[in-house]
Amino acid sequence: MGIINGLLTTIKYALQSPVTIQYPEEERVVRERYKGKHVLRRYDNGLERCIGCSLCAAACPADAIWVEAAENTDDERYSPGERYAKTYEINMLRCIFCGYCEDACPTEAIVLEHEYQLSFTDRRDAIYTKDMLIVPVPEGGLPTPQKVEPGTFDRAIPDMEDPK
Amino acid sequence: MSEVTIYIDGQEYRVPANTNLVDVAKFYADNDIPVFCYHPKMAPVGMCRMCLVKMGSVEKNRETGEVVTDENGNPKIRWFPKLQTACTQTVYDGLAIITNSEEVQVARDDIIEFILTSHPLDCPICDKGGECPLQNLTMRHGPGQSVFYYEDKMHLDKHVPLGELIYLDRERCIQCARCTRFCDELVGDDVLAFHERGRRLQIVTISDPPFDTKFSGNTTDICPVGALTTADFRFGARPWELKEVPSLDPYGPEGANISLSTRLDRDAGGRIVIKRVMPRQNEYVNEIWISDKTRFGHHHTRSDERLTKPLIRQNGQLAEASWEEAYQVITDRLRAAKSLGVIAGPNQSNEDLWELKQLASHVENHHLGVFPATMSGGDIVNTVGVGVGTNFLDLKKGDVIVVVASDLEEEAPIWYLRTKVARDRGVKLVLLNARPTKLSKYAKYNLTYAYGDAVSAINSLISAVIGAGKINDEILSRVDGYDELAKSVKKPAYTNFTEAAEAIGDAQNMIVLAGSEGLTLAQQRELMQACANLLIVTGHVGRPNNGLIPVWHGANIQGAYDLGFTAEATEAIYQESLDVVLVAGCNPVGEVVEAEALQNANFVVVTSLFETETTAIADVVLPRQSFAERDGTFTSGERRVQRFYTAQGVIGESLPDWRIFAEIHYRLGGPKPKLSAGAVMAEINKAVPSYAEMRYKKLAEMPRQFPDVGGEDLYYGGTAYQNRGGIGQQTPTVAEDPEARLSVRPVEAMTPKFDGLVVIPTTLLYDRGVLFRRSTLMHQRIPAPHIVINPEDAEAQGITDGDTVAIVVEGHRYEVQVKIDKTLPRGAVLMPRRLSNRPDPSVPTVLESIEKIVQPVPVTEG
Repeated sequence: MGIINGLLTTIKYALQSPVTIQYPEEERVVRERYKGKHVLRRYDNGLERCIGCSLCAAACPADAIWVEAAENTDDERYSPGERYAKTYEINMLRCIFCGYCEDACPTEAIVLEHEYQLSFTDRRDAIYTKDMLIVPVPEGGLPTPQKVEPGTFDRAIPDMEDPK
Repeated sequence: MSEVTIYIDGQEYRVPANTNLVDVAKFYADNDIPVFCYHPKMAPVGMCRMCLVKMGSVEKNRETGEVVTDENGNPKIRWFPKLQTACTQTVYDGLAIITNSEEVQVARDDIIEFILTSHPLDCPICDKGGECPLQNLTMRHGPGQSVFYYEDKMHLDKHVPLGELIYLDRERCIQCARCTRFCDELVGDDVLAFHERGRRLQIVTISDPPFDTKFSGNTTDICPVGALTTADFRFGARPWELKEVPSLDPYGPEGANISLSTRLDRDAGGRIVIKRVMPRQNEYVNEIWISDKTRFGHHHTRSDERLTKPLIRQNGQLAEASWEEAYQVITDRLRAAKSLGVIAGPNQSNEDLWELKQLASHVENHHLGVFPATMSGGDIVNTVGVGVGTNFLDLKKGDVIVVVASDLEEEAPIWYLRTKVARDRGVKLVLLNARPTKLSKYAKYNLTYAYGDAVSAINSLISAVIGAGKINDEILSRVDGYDELAKSVKKPAYTNFTEAAEAIGDAQNMIVLAGSEGLTLAQQRELMQACANLLIVTGHVGRPNNGLIPVWHGANIQGAYDLGFTAEATEAIYQESLDVVLVAGCNPVGEVVEAEALQNANFVVVTSLFETETTAIADVVLPRQSFAERDGTFTSGERRVQRFYTAQGVIGESLPDWRIFAEIHYRLGGPKPKLSAGAVMAEINKAVPSYAEMRYKKLAEMPRQFPDVGGEDLYYGGTAYQNRGGIGQQTPTVAEDPEARLSVRPVEAMTPKFDGLVVIPTTLLYDRGVLFRRSTLMHQRIPAPHIVINPEDAEAQGITDGDTVAIVVEGHRYEVQVKIDKTLPRGAVLMPRRLSNRPDPSVPTVLESIEKIVQPVPVTEG
């Protein structure tokens, strides 16, 4: 009897559709809250959300993020306010995809998106620079740096919501 | 110091009388009363109300004066009906405070909420974020939620330059007035002020040029929020990313303690670089202040123009070579050297100087010179210098500070600041100079003499002291030569010094700061002796807070004198045609005309950070390390030996000077080079008696300092950094040994007679010296090459303010601008050093000709 039960199980699974997929021809759709490769987001007008505050680097338990800041001018504006990230690097070999950087970010600039296909043949290639992380300029927006009217973007952090 | 009993939260403490309650609570009870406007170095104003505490007095029986106790035997306290500000309270016997009651907590919470009503809370981009008193106190006392609508906040300018060095964010300002009070009350430069009132109140600069003070950077440290930031550091790093390395000011004789904030930098190839310079608390030296030169003058440490490899002259051209090749060339030449001249630069450390001296001893006929050779008398300083334990802060009402022949603000800004603050406490300031300086308006006695006549002025002062009967008879028993001195000053050149002499005679403590303005080297040495005479006969030697402080033009000239280097030897090197000359870390050829003679030397070796006029005549150039890449010790003008530590990585193949000299000496048959600067110092400890106790471990000792500034609770004194590198140690003076004989001797004025106008070289804080000119941020503050002249003399020469003239001094032609100053005595033409790219006259010299030209002055940059 035992051998028949075993065979039945085998036949049952043989007739079910497989749980594996034919990667890389086929790619699995991840869950909404999946934490993959980071992106640096932009505002609708193309300005970078990142203000170079380095709080993500401070929060990072793996010490994977390196930020160097510089000062915006109205002639060369990367982000609202006075400060922007001149250098922004994430070492993907160090990153543990915990998402603490997302939590720390005061402007919601850094988000762990769904891209998970990260591979490198050199350790140096694992360091993703700002160009590799930042999202393309949205439609209707302008690339950075932008030349803007003085006094239009003098606040780094979006106005807080009024208290309820 | 008398002590009183106070009660903090029911605990009894014995504390010094007449001290501030906030300071005392922090130091003795470890109770951090929060403050914003109060600063331990400034008079309290009680503006921010953050320090509210419940206060009361111990009840005493009015007849017997005994403390009334309750049934448990504890003293009965009569509480004041309302909360009081702790910062405006001086401790007295029986004072009691409560800091942990709910009433006090609620009051503090409310004050924080009030202060936050208009604060933008942009901590993520604020340079102060992470070391911000307001941020820290908001975390402790702040409400979780704002009850204000965002639109109700005041929105003011966020990017207001107060001059080119400091930026103001008006929104962040909480109106504590620390910056305005620092400039106005402490420094005495009335450059910042409040504008408008209430919520619109703003800081403005009211000087031209804006924020015109040499201490502006200190306001960013004491600012309890991020309202003031420096142009140098703005957004350079977050505070928690910085590593603090204790170091020393490489420019001035005061030995200001600094902290180098370092971090990795992509722009510097991922290496560690200095991001900013912060003061480090040393109550004996600079308290928590540094000048802007110290703060912003660090860029030479990572300049791209730094020398990275040894250079050897081949076929008339300097070509890169290896260290071995360079050592080979030098040792070959030194073996055959008939005579050797050594010129040690102003920031050669004691270890460098020691190894340099060992190396020089290999050549029998050698001279040990120091640069700049403006001042002499290091040996006199070792006899009558300020006593061990001297602190300007200990000078009290009735004590005297004498400043002679020095523009202290330009030559030693920290001593200027401390002298000015001491004067505010009631210290009498006696100023002897040929012209008014910035210190003049604070002096109780402004004694003017003719240029070059400083010695007669001091002699006249001694004469007046004798005349007033204020000679210290006690000390005369151990003084030799008093009678000759008394005889020599019988006929004083100046007769109106009596009042100042009486003040000096009556003073319990006296410090003399002696400079060199308008004096030749020989005259300057005589001035030092004259000052020593004055100090000895009035009994102001051999004790703390008494004695002589030389206003050296460099960070370690005192150390050079202690180890046997002299300015006289430098003059000899210029005058004698020497076979080999070794110039260590300075640029004499580019700075003084006399050094042109170095071209006549057969072989010149130079250690340098940069290519200079001196390296241009060198046969071998060796790349040295700056103060930031190595460790060592400097000896300040107060003879305080202090350590500085390695902050950043090596540039190129550069080596510390001591190592270079030791390697050369080794190849000449000397001992094996030591492995560390500490090991070199251990050798100095053994060989130099006054340095016997200056062991590295001892220099790094760090006693607790009052008031407690910096550290974990940054909100108290601002971001001046906690001292972790040690406060150093003063070398003893001869006068401190009660058995030692002291000798005075008559000194002659030797005032030269000049016909016509005389060019007087002066020293400015901001100049185009080899190191300082790499800080491009400061270029706007460096004046163009100029002369200062009296209006009548100018009129006689047919020139006016702003003219460009060509002057000829000692056969050298300079094109300079003219500045008219009516306070300047007639006949004197001031010519500040190191402003042009040409060597300057180093001693007072006759102005040969002056002629108006039209074309503008070329200003050399870089």
